[in-house]
Amino acid sequence: MGLPLQHVKVSPFNAGLVLGLGAALVQAYFKVIPPVANGFCMVCHPKDLFNWTADHLFNLNWGYGMASTMWPLLTVVGVVLGALVAAYQHGEIHLRPARQPLFYFVNGFLMINFGLILGACPIRIVLLSAYGSYLGLIGWVCIGIGVLLTIRFQRWSAGRAVDQAKRLPHQRKMT
Amino acid sequence: MTAAIATLILGFVVGYLGQRSRLCFISGYRDYFLMHDTTLLKGVGGTFIGVLAGYILFGFFGGSVPAFPLFLQPSLPTSASVWLITIVSGLGVGIVGALSGGCPYRMHVLATEGKKTYWVYLLGFYAGLIFYNVATVYLVDMLKSVLN
Repeated sequence: MGLPLQHVKVSPFNAGLVLGLGAALVQAYFKVIPPVANGFCMVCHPKDLFNWTADHLFNLNWGYGMASTMWPLLTVVGVVLGALVAAYQHGEIHLRPARQPLFYFVNGFLMINFGLILGACPIRIVLLSAYGSYLGLIGWVCIGIGVLLTIRFQRWSAGRAVDQAKRLPHQRKMT
Repeated sequence: MTAAIATLILGFVVGYLGQRSRLCFISGYRDYFLMHDTTLLKGVGGTFIGVLAGYILFGFFGGSVPAFPLFLQPSLPTSASVWLITIVSGLGVGIVGALSGGCPYRMHVLATEGKKTYWVYLLGFYAGLIFYNVATVYLVDMLKSVLN
């Protein structure tokens, strides 16, 4: 599967650079404002699209950003289409079964709730910090601390499991 | 309409580049903390540099970059509840992101590769959005009024 096109490889730094410049560009010249530093967000823009659609179809009066008043922001649609084209072009679409579905469902559920309470996804928090927002900077640091705490816990938990596994043969001999 | 088309095009480009580069805004920190691998972290740095350069450059050429930089603007004092909510929700995003192995952007990209695990994640993500609209938003307002 895949189109006979040249293999494209991009470094994360370059991808980030394009993302950053693009986010500033859409705010500066294409009216993706207010709020400020809202050029790219993977929780606010899906919320705007979802709520705008729900509001127009079912008159639910769920809130969305000022930039989405006339037309919703289509960032999430673009991301899915772009990634789909890239994956298809490079033959990287393979159906794989779901593992730990409940765990991932709950993670997705919690992620958008925490993200919307924060008012930013891990990308927009970088945009906000670059814009000079103290709250954005605090949020960014807290995301980093959250990742660090989780890794520490997972390491501790894995170490404990290994210790228990090592002790088991000895315990068996005792009994 | 302009904003919708602009974000669609930007999303397409970033989605394409994200699939090719494995750019992720949680895995970058995770890889650094776990193995001191800075490959993905450079993506976060690139975003910061790109957006900062963009705000300065486009602001200079008359683009809409109001109140930049925010820390130089006179602002109203931020209430304690806002700080608390920012800290707790920031930690929450970090913890949940590390548990699931990526940021929402990376999850959308992985879902397009046919990994059903991430389809389930996105199902939870959009179910969570409905829950946010019917419950969380009111709970947060209530918490703010109690704390202030």
